[in-house]
This record gives sequence, C-alpha cells and structure tokens, in this order.
Amino acid sequence: MEDKVILLDGAMGTMLQAAGLPLGALPESWNITAPEKVAAVHRSYVQAGTTVVCANTFGANRHKLAGSGCAPGQVIAAAIDLAKKAVGPGVRVALDVGPIGQLMEPLGTLSFAEAYDIFREMVTAGEAAGADLVFFETMSDLAELRAGVLAARENTSLPVWASMTFEASGRTFLGTTVPAMGLTLTGLGVDAMGFNCSLGPAELLPLMAQLRRWTDRPLLLKPNAGLPDPATGRYAMTPEDFAEALAPALELGVCALGGCCGTTPDFIRALAARVAGKKPAPRPAADMHGVCSASDTAVLDGDVRLIGERINPTGKKRLQQALCQGDMGYVQQLAIAQQDAGADILDVNVGLPGLDEPAVMERTVRAVQAVCQLPLQIDSADPAAIEAGLRACSGKAIVNSVNGEAAVLEAVLPLCKKYGAAVVGLTMDSAGIPPTAEGRLAIAERILDAALSYGIPRRDVFIDCLTLTVSAQQDQAVQTLEAVRLVHERLGLHTVLGVSNISFGLPAREHVTASFLTQALAAGLDLPIVNPGQTAVMAAVAAYRALSGRDRDSAAYIARFAGSGSAPAPAADSALTLAEAVAKGLGEQTALLTEKALESMDELAAVNELLIPALDAVGQRYERGELFLPQLIGAANAACAGFEVVKSRIAQKGTGSVSRGKIVLATVQGDIHDIGKNIVRVVLENYGYTVIDLGRDVPPEAVVEAAIRENARLVGLSALMTTTVPSMAETIAALRESGHACKVMVGGAVLTAEHAQRIGADYYARDAKQSADIAREVLG
Amino acid sequence: MIEARLTGLDRAEALAYLGVTGAPDGDLSARLDRAEALIMDAARPRAVWRLFAILPDGTLAGTGFAPAGEDIRAHLAGCGQAVLMAATLGAGIDGLLRRTQAADMALAVVLDACAGAAIENVCDNLCADLAGQLAPRHMTGRFSPGYGDMPLAQQGALCRVLDVGRRIGVSLTPGGLMVPQKTVTALVGISETPVSRRTGGCAGCEKYEGCVLRGEGRRCGG
Repeated sequence: MEDKVILLDGAMGTMLQAAGLPLGALPESWNITAPEKVAAVHRSYVQAGTTVVCANTFGANRHKLAGSGCAPGQVIAAAIDLAKKAVGPGVRVALDVGPIGQLMEPLGTLSFAEAYDIFREMVTAGEAAGADLVFFETMSDLAELRAGVLAARENTSLPVWASMTFEASGRTFLGTTVPAMGLTLTGLGVDAMGFNCSLGPAELLPLMAQLRRWTDRPLLLKPNAGLPDPATGRYAMTPEDFAEALAPALELGVCALGGCCGTTPDFIRALAARVAGKKPAPRPAADMHGVCSASDTAVLDGDVRLIGERINPTGKKRLQQALCQGDMGYVQQLAIAQQDAGADILDVNVGLPGLDEPAVMERTVRAVQAVCQLPLQIDSADPAAIEAGLRACSGKAIVNSVNGEAAVLEAVLPLCKKYGAAVVGLTMDSAGIPPTAEGRLAIAERILDAALSYGIPRRDVFIDCLTLTVSAQQDQAVQTLEAVRLVHERLGLHTVLGVSNISFGLPAREHVTASFLTQALAAGLDLPIVNPGQTAVMAAVAAYRALSGRDRDSAAYIARFAGSGSAPAPAADSALTLAEAVAKGLGEQTALLTEKALESMDELAAVNELLIPALDAVGQRYERGELFLPQLIGAANAACAGFEVVKSRIAQKGTGSVSRGKIVLATVQGDIHDIGKNIVRVVLENYGYTVIDLGRDVPPEAVVEAAIRENARLVGLSALMTTTVPSMAETIAALRESGHACKVMVGGAVLTAEHAQRIGADYYARDAKQSADIAREVLG
Repeated sequence: MIEARLTGLDRAEALAYLGVTGAPDGDLSARLDRAEALIMDAARPRAVWRLFAILPDGTLAGTGFAPAGEDIRAHLAGCGQAVLMAATLGAGIDGLLRRTQAADMALAVVLDACAGAAIENVCDNLCADLAGQLAPRHMTGRFSPGYGDMPLAQQGALCRVLDVGRRIGVSLTPGGLMVPQKTVTALVGISETPVSRRTGGCAGCEKYEGCVLRGEGRRCGG
C-alpha cells in the first residue's frame, strides 16, 4: 500500500452534528434511524476523493450502546451495509473501532478479557457484514488497543489498521509513548499504524517523524482541523490550510491521509488536489529498536540495559510464600525496589512446584505492571505460562527462553512471533552445554535461523551464552566470555547473561561477580541479568559505562558517586527502643531492633511483647488526637519492617506462623476508591493479621467465595460513595445467605454507625485504628 | 486560549483533608514537600469547557441535556448561559498513587490529600481564567453532579456532551465513577447581573463543617 497515496475520509461526528445530531447523542444510532443521512456523508467523502471510508461504527460497542435499544451486531451490519451501498465498487469500507469508553485495569475496572470480548463481538460482526478491514482509531491506551488487535487477529482474517491519539508532549492521555506504540504494534503485525485526532497536522508531523524510526509498517495520519475553540467547539483551519499543512507527511513516507474532528469533504477535496500525482517518499529502514511496556522503552542501542532478576522464587523462601498465598503486594515491592535501584527491565519468573504457573504468571505480570512501568522479561519453561505472561503484558516483552532443541523452538517461537516479543536463546541443547565458545556460537546460529524462519526479526533474537560456576568448572569462564564476543561480533546479536552464578560457592562473591560482569560487558554483553540491589554489581556497570564512553563525560557516574564516602552500614541505634523506633516510623531501625530482640526471644514473643504493644501505644496517641493518619501509617510501616524480619525467619524455618487470624477485605462492587481499604490493610497486617485483600469493585459472590475458602471469621468491606452503599448491603446479605459464620465490619466516608447497622453489618469501623480494635475483639 | 494550569497546592486544604489540626511536625512537613514535588511532576492537568445558552425548559441549547433538581435550578436562576466544565490531573496521578500505596502507605495518604488540593487549584485557575474571558458577565461558583439533589447519575450525560474521553482522557466506570480519580465536572452559571451563589469547591459548600468525605481526605466530586 506504500507506493501511492490512499485518501481516507474526514470526520463523521462533525458531519452528523451539522445534519442535526444533538451533542452527546449516539452517532451510531443513526445507522438505524437515519441511514440516509449517514450514507450522504459517505457519498460526499467519496465524491471528494476518499478511497477508504470508515463506517459509522466508532462507538458501536456493547458498552456505549447499552440502554440505546440497539445491539452492536445490528448497528454494525446496518452501518457496513449502508456504507457499501453508498460508496460503490472500488472504495473500501473499514469497520471503524474507537475506544470502548471505559478504562482498563488497573486505572479503571475493565478487564483484558472483557475488552477482548467487546472487540471480538465488533470485529466478527464487521467481517460478517462485509467490511474490508478493521480500523482502530483514537486509541489512547495501548493495552486496550492490544486487546482489540488480538481480537481482530484471532477471530477474523481482515487487515488491521491501528491509530492512536497523542498530545503534543508525545504521550497519550494514558501515558503511551510513540516508541512503545511503534514497537508493540509492529510486533503484533498490524498492517498500518499512525495517529488521528487531538491535534492538527503541524503538531502531529513531528510525532510521525519519530514513529517512523520505530517501525517499518505503512503509516497513516488523520489530524484534526487544528484546535477547537473551547467555547463553541468549532475548528479554525480552512480546507486549504489543512491540505497544505498535511502534505509534508508524504515526505515522511506516510501513505494514507485523511482528517478527524472538524474536517469535512471540503478538506478531503483540498487534500486530494494538493497531493494529486504525488507519491509517498521511500522510507529508510527503522533505525530504533528496543523492548517496552505501554509507556517505558528500554532502547537497545548497544548501551548496557540491566535486567533485574529478583522476581524469581528459586531459593527465595519469602517470595515462594508470597506467590503461594497470592500476596502480590510483596511482588510489587520487589518490582519497585529494583526500578528504584536502576533496573531497566524486570525478569518475571514464578515457577514453583504445585503452583498453577500460567495463572500465577498472568496475575504477577498484571500486578507488576500496575505499579511499575519497566518492560518485562517473561521467564518460564512452560509455553502455557509464557503465553499467559505475553498476553497480559501490555508492551513488547522478552521471552526467557528457548534453547537449541527443536521441540522447544517449535513450542515457543510461534508465541514470540504472535505477540511480537523478543526471545532469549540459551546456547545449549539436548546434548548439554558445549564446552567451547565455537560450539555455543553454532547453537546460537541455529536458534537465529529458527527464529528467522518463524518471521521473528534478527534484532529480536538475544543470545545467552550461559554462565557456569567458576568454583566447579574453572576453564568455562573464559569460554563464556569468548562466546559472548563471537555472538556479538559474528552474528551482531544482543546478548543476555545471568552473571551471579559465576561466583557460587566462593567467599566474598561480589568481587568475582563484578569482575566477570566487567569482562563480559567488554566482550559485548549488553543485557546482563543482575540483582540491582547489589552495590558492587551496579558500581561495576557504572564504571564500565564511564570507561567505554557510553556515559558521556562520566556524568552518570559522577551523579551516582559524588560525595559518597564509604557510608557505614546502618547499625542499631542503642539509644532507641523498639517502641520509639516504631513511633517515629523508622523502618530500618525497627528491623534491626527486631533482629536483635530475636536473639533472646522467639518470633511469637517478639510480635506479642514488642511489636504489637509498640503499635498500640501509637494507636492510643492517634485516638487522643496527638498523632494523625500519616504518622499512624508511618508507625505501621515501621512495624511492618519488623514483621518482615519475623516472617523471613519463619519462612526459613518452614514451620509455624505468627498470624493472629485471617481477615478478608474488599472495596465493594461498583466502587473504585480503595485507599481507605488499603490503609486498613496495612494497619491490620502490622497488627499481625493475615489479610486477604480482594481489591476494589469486588462482586458479592467473590467476597463470599473468599470468606469460605479462607475460612475467615472477619470480613471488612469499604464503600466510599452513597451510590455504592447498596452494593455493600447486597454483599452482607450474600454472606449471611451463604451460612458462613463470620462477622462483618464496614467502613467508608459516607457510612455512619446507624447506617452500618441498618445494612446488617456487625461493626462500624470509623477508622483504621478502630478496625484493628474490632479485629482483636473478633479474632483475639 | 485557556489552558488547564496547576500552579500550586494549598497545604492548609491538604492538611484539612488529612484531618490534621495544628501545625504539621517535621516528618509530616517532609512528606508534604515530597508529595507536592511528586504531584507537580506527575500531574498533566487537562480541562475542557463549553458555553451553552440555557433554554427556558432548563435544557442546554443543542445538547438535550437538562441538569436535574431544585438545587441546580436555584443555582442557575437568572443565568442565561452556563459553562459545562471538566478538569483532571490525568492518569499519571492514579499511577503514582497506586505505586506509592504499594511502597509507602504513609506517603500515599499525604499524596492523596495533596492531589485533592491540586485538582481544586486547577479548577480555581480555570474559573479565574473563564471569569476574565467572559467579563463583564458574572459567574456563579461550581456546582457538580451529586451536590444537593442533582443526581450523580447525570455525570454520564455531562461527560458525553463534553466528549471528555476524547478531549481530556476521562471515562466513567459502569458504577458512574470518574477515572482518572482526581477529576472534577461542574456547571457554572453565567449571568449579565452580579450573582452571589458561590458554591465553588469545598470551601463554599454548606456541608463543609462536619463533612465526612473531607475528614477522610476525599471529596464528593465537586
């Protein structure tokens, strides 16, 4: 489609409003009630020169049509039918698909599965009605667009065009960047991509110049007619100004041009005249490359990008416990800590015997993405878990890993291709790890060939030459380094390497690890897998970047280390008691003092005789009005650091528990304001209770199910809005009806004690402190 | 051209949301500093507004949307026109709050209160700019769906008229709650003669004293 200019159409909404559609009314309803007016718009665009029209189906989804009396299938069939009749042969009709109109999780409440299903309904109806292609437009959430593209790919054979709407800042309202869009949509194999709406041609051209560096797919552009007058909603540009401003897009190689809000057939006519006889300029190959989340990109330009390794339960008791209990809060903290320490990409591995790995992978990927925008590396040996992770990951991920075995390549490479992921190939096969660098290079070549045969581009194949423990196989360290050099120089591929393993079994491991890392970086390693919390490793990377000239003027090195003497490790301040450390919100001190206390008392005693009384003292001051909410939570957080010490100790012993009982917490269905519930969770956890946090917008049946499954004797519900209190009453009724014996406490800004009683709750918790008092009364 | 502007946030207001009385101590002051810096960095204030004539039956001309209830009718009495407005701090603030709740809940509650004060600042700035642009006409204060007897259910219609999804990236959940969470919609009456109804934001609300929402650092959407 790139050797001639394709003329798209202009605005539909603008035209229908001019024909009498009230502001705020559903334009799609006119496919049924005023089809002739819609057809007239299509005809006028075709007369102006349009060769691909968008049917009037932008908002024809289940959510937006709810209450209109029309079903998506009916509206879409009518819209495509009338468009095909209006435009005649030689003009293609696109099923136009806009945003669903609800935001996806974690920002909103729409799940990926629901979004996918809403789009599936639209695209299958569109194909059945005879649409020539699917055109996703005005998207501002890359996760939502991914759901749509996957629905179209998996349920139709139609070409897919995808267009997003950006602000001049280069981000969408939801934070998607141009590189993330380019990388992700290229990976998903859309047939064309570009921008529409929000801005005029002059503002969108610079973004297009950026986009074409990240993709080789055909490009399209449908700007607004400038910016609207806020008071009236009218757009300022004339058709001629618009055409003149948009024409330079051809020099960028954009091959499909049209208009969005405020444009009319006159604009398309002017555009047709302006580009008549012209061709899109040939495009240079995309020169930028990387992996990304929906908003952050790790650019792969030869510089070092660190892959954080800590979300991997192997040998980590505390993480194993968290994954088994579904405690995503702990996993989220690991993610945030690694990002803060300087990781560029996070490895996610949840392989643990007895765990439903695909389900846990999906949950973990979503939980991590909710709080951390780094690109992810999906790490599993199970193709089902890999697919679950890739499907949930809203960006371009890395798959870790394949190796030279044909069966593994056949199982995993198609997934990488389908989801557009990069892939790590381990230089080993059924015969094991070749002892020589040349042997590993040969496997790398085989993996590369296999990947290419599946249509995975060369730049998306990363090779891991495998680190062996130097204390066991001393001659292998140099072979690994040599293999990295060969893969880098002869194949020109990015290389990945987990380095910590080199020093296993040796004392003072960090010296060996850091030195090996430095040598590997010099050999061409650009994606080391490390624990970014290890100072020696991070220092080695910082020094390497300065020495190799990647860190211009050593600016990052200086910023990191200037003024850093040899900071002493924090020691327990002997002048401070544990109660004081908690009261002052000093987590590190509390942890150290807890450790010290555990030298002379057992875990249960530390909880009951030290941590809880310390929290109680703070709670009493809070109730007296001497302390306020932030300080109460600060103290709870500090106590949490003490509890973490106790929990790690117990996880290592593998026996016993200091839990004082289980409490199920939920923000009720329909409500998304959950900070109050989260405050209660933190406080309860730090009083030693095990909290099963079901999140927000939780249906009554899910609360009942969890209460029974966990055999929880206390359930806490929150609702913030008057409109969601009935949902709370329903949840309480469902709990009573289930026959499960439990007490229910409720809280939330609009509730009162009387109100709580009226809807059948056992307790009203005015604040987090009181919820802890109630827990003590019910659970002890 | 009126742009949404976040020019600062009123700490007294944030402290009131937090239920803090008296001067904040050193720790709290430090958290307020940090929260303010994080919000100023993460906020992408956006606003959309349109001016409509009010038809005799209360409908806004060209929309089919008629604000319901006695209270809004009284609020707009004598006004020939009304501004519909929506303002948001953007999705980045929700992300920041989510992340901070996972990492540091004590900071998160301060952030939440500060974000409440910040969206109020954006609305105040927008109304000040509107007042300048619409002078010599006079403006009432802001009145939001959910105030008085105006049903919260009208949020949806108001959002559709302003096309808030496309214009400023705001949407409603199935339960009718706005996302991003720090978003405000409101009606402002425009009159040729001076008006005294100043129900703008919390400060002018008759339920200000003893408002439980405010006590928890939250607001009803107005």
